[in-house]
Amino acid sequence: MEGIRVLDLSGGIAAAYCGKLFADHGAEVLLLEPPNGFRTRRLPPFAPGIEGAEASGMHAYLSTNKRSVVCTDRADLLRVARGASLAIDDGPAGRHALDIETFKTVSADTDVLSITWFGKDGPYRNFAGSDGVCLALSSQIDWIGEPGRAPLIPGGYHAQIIAGVTAFIAASGQILARELGNAYGFQLIDVSVHESSICLTEIEAYRGHCGLPVRTRIGVNRFRSTYPLGIYACRDGWLGVTVVTPAQWDGFCRLLGLRHLTDIERYWSSEARLEDADVLEPLITAAVSDRSAGELARTGQRRKVPLSLVPTMDKLLAVDQYISRAAFADVTHPDIGPMPLPVTPFRLHGAPATAGGTVSRLGEDTSAVLAAAGGAE
Amino acid sequence: MSRPTFLQGLRIVDLSMGWAGPLATRHLADMGAEVIKIESCERFDWFRGWEASQRWIDEGGPEKNPPFNCLNRNKLDVTLDLGTGKGRALLLALVAAADAVVENFAGSVLPKLKLGFEVFRRVKPDIVMLSMPGFGTTGPWKDYRAYGSTTEQAAGLPHLSGNAEWPPTMVHIALGDAVAGLNGAAGLLLALRHRHRTGEGQFVDLSHSECLFPLAAHGIAEQVLTGRPPPRLGNRSRLHAPHGAYPCRNGRWLVIQVQNEVQWQSMQALVGESLEGFGDVQDRLARNDGLDGAVAVWSARRTAERAMAELQSAGVPAGAVRNSRELCDEPHLVARKFWKMMDREYVGCIPHARAPYRVDGSPLEIEWPAPTLGQHNRQVLGGILGLAEDEIVDLERAGVIGTKPRMREADTK
Repeated sequence: MEGIRVLDLSGGIAAAYCGKLFADHGAEVLLLEPPNGFRTRRLPPFAPGIEGAEASGMHAYLSTNKRSVVCTDRADLLRVARGASLAIDDGPAGRHALDIETFKTVSADTDVLSITWFGKDGPYRNFAGSDGVCLALSSQIDWIGEPGRAPLIPGGYHAQIIAGVTAFIAASGQILARELGNAYGFQLIDVSVHESSICLTEIEAYRGHCGLPVRTRIGVNRFRSTYPLGIYACRDGWLGVTVVTPAQWDGFCRLLGLRHLTDIERYWSSEARLEDADVLEPLITAAVSDRSAGELARTGQRRKVPLSLVPTMDKLLAVDQYISRAAFADVTHPDIGPMPLPVTPFRLHGAPATAGGTVSRLGEDTSAVLAAAGGAE
Repeated sequence: MSRPTFLQGLRIVDLSMGWAGPLATRHLADMGAEVIKIESCERFDWFRGWEASQRWIDEGGPEKNPPFNCLNRNKLDVTLDLGTGKGRALLLALVAAADAVVENFAGSVLPKLKLGFEVFRRVKPDIVMLSMPGFGTTGPWKDYRAYGSTTEQAAGLPHLSGNAEWPPTMVHIALGDAVAGLNGAAGLLLALRHRHRTGEGQFVDLSHSECLFPLAAHGIAEQVLTGRPPPRLGNRSRLHAPHGAYPCRNGRWLVIQVQNEVQWQSMQALVGESLEGFGDVQDRLARNDGLDGAVAVWSARRTAERAMAELQSAGVPAGAVRNSRELCDEPHLVARKFWKMMDREYVGCIPHARAPYRVDGSPLEIEWPAPTLGQHNRQVLGGILGLAEDEIVDLERAGVIGTKPRMREADTK
């Protein structure tokens, strides 16, 4: 994304992740932060012994290779805004010194990417949002957890990260369209976090609309109509299992010493196995409990059964697959120091993303950016 | 109605099947790229169905499966038997006329067909190729089989959800597929822009499991910074309360996630007496059981819809837990014209989720539904490759192309 300047006026996670993808691929991304910093600076985890705006590990991850500017002077901000390809906003008009209306007048070549919980129109446009609220209204959490009990909200920021990638698709598509000569003038790109998360549920919605059977909560790590699908305790860790086809069931049973189950023709169907899960689950649990998760996964994969380790956070960075692909690289914050964090997941061999990088302190780049824009320091 | 023309002029040969690859190319098709989906009569997209029988084929099963019909609108469909010399040659001719190729086979499939990036580059030196197997194209797991569930497991993500006493908890049957699809679209757009600016094609390597690391970034960072993972608190938060899913009338549920003290005070004023005894966030976190109980008493007297409306009127983040049957009638999505109802052969009028972004206020139009098998054989082979009608007929007779699915020879024995 060389030659692209992105202004992030938002402070939200979705916008920050979108901006990170631009920054890691060579765009100049400026965080135009308020004096107390963006909201991402107040997200856990926090580095021990560091106070205030520089302590957040999540902010460091989301803000790698971006520059931080703190400036409330509208004239200065307008100078910084000139020449930008994209401005990312996530709030109501008037919250920031620069807004959509401003960009319409600053530059015809600046697209505004608006990332909001529910989009810019519709009855929920002014709703207060959160990750869990969007996942609830997209129907995803209705499938997660025990029947008759509260549905489970995934940990972390699933809806916002997914919206961040979606926003990147929308914005980079527009940038390419402009360069292909297929788009002209000011463009407002409206991304809804709620709608973005529906990529995970649209197939079930289609089924539901057509009166076909749909997923409901049927238990922890249970999803109709695949069985076994779940995570099992082994002597040295956790084994992830997904068995769909008759061939996989056959390989799985042989691996676990449960060969007699393959003689039961009914169990060649995943749906039938799910119906008998209460019978099969204790057999599987017992068969793996004193085995090695890693060895089972390797042997299962040799037999074309999709098994996997389920690495804990302390083991994740040591998984040989991820080490061999350099899936983590140091992100260095001047106060926190280096932290190995995930690199951009798509690897362009001809134009690779920056692996790791640096994080700016709050306002660290203000003077340099304003000077370059021709404004007062 | 026509699709947007943002990516008009770009042609993508799409060998991908299932969820991830087709979702990636759907985004580009929605923006106006010409996406040519390659299947064959025996090896059709497994999202048309993975337990084929002759009866199922005779009843039109391969054209009726919701997952396939969701993911392939706005695309052209061509059948080519890549196991034949003629089919392989036609694929290479299409690649020579394309800007990008996308595939998401297991690692060993393309080499068996004597296909791959180097082969494609010989016929089209500036081709972009996106390859997206479950664990990427390198490393000791490169040939591992994976579903979207396998990659969720392998990314460690289940250690960040659920109650502490539960096993590591998955949150979707195929989380890795959809997330990889989005990342595939992003990578493809970046590579196409690079090509447009420099004239250089390239190989794009995408691992589904690595696409899930950003969803685990908070956990990875916490482990790195503190030596411990974040605690698994179910629906609760270490920072905010109330924060969870609360029962409503008729067995329904409502998510409430208060994010700051202003929202808490609004909620306290709305709910009234039962929340009066709770103080600042530290007090609320310390007495979470009592707080959740008090909120549940309030919510249980209301429908989820009414409770959501009351809380949202007070500026409190709250959302009714929708189920799959309701999503197409969700009032906000209906008002935003998020669903497009469109007729498709074999299945009638079905809902299509539009792209979750709009440009200048307009939802992106969907021009046609998912194609039937080989629907565009003549349009593509005749129109793009210039084959004459008698050549196309010969290909049909030889079984290289066709429009009728058939059982694989090995499966019929």
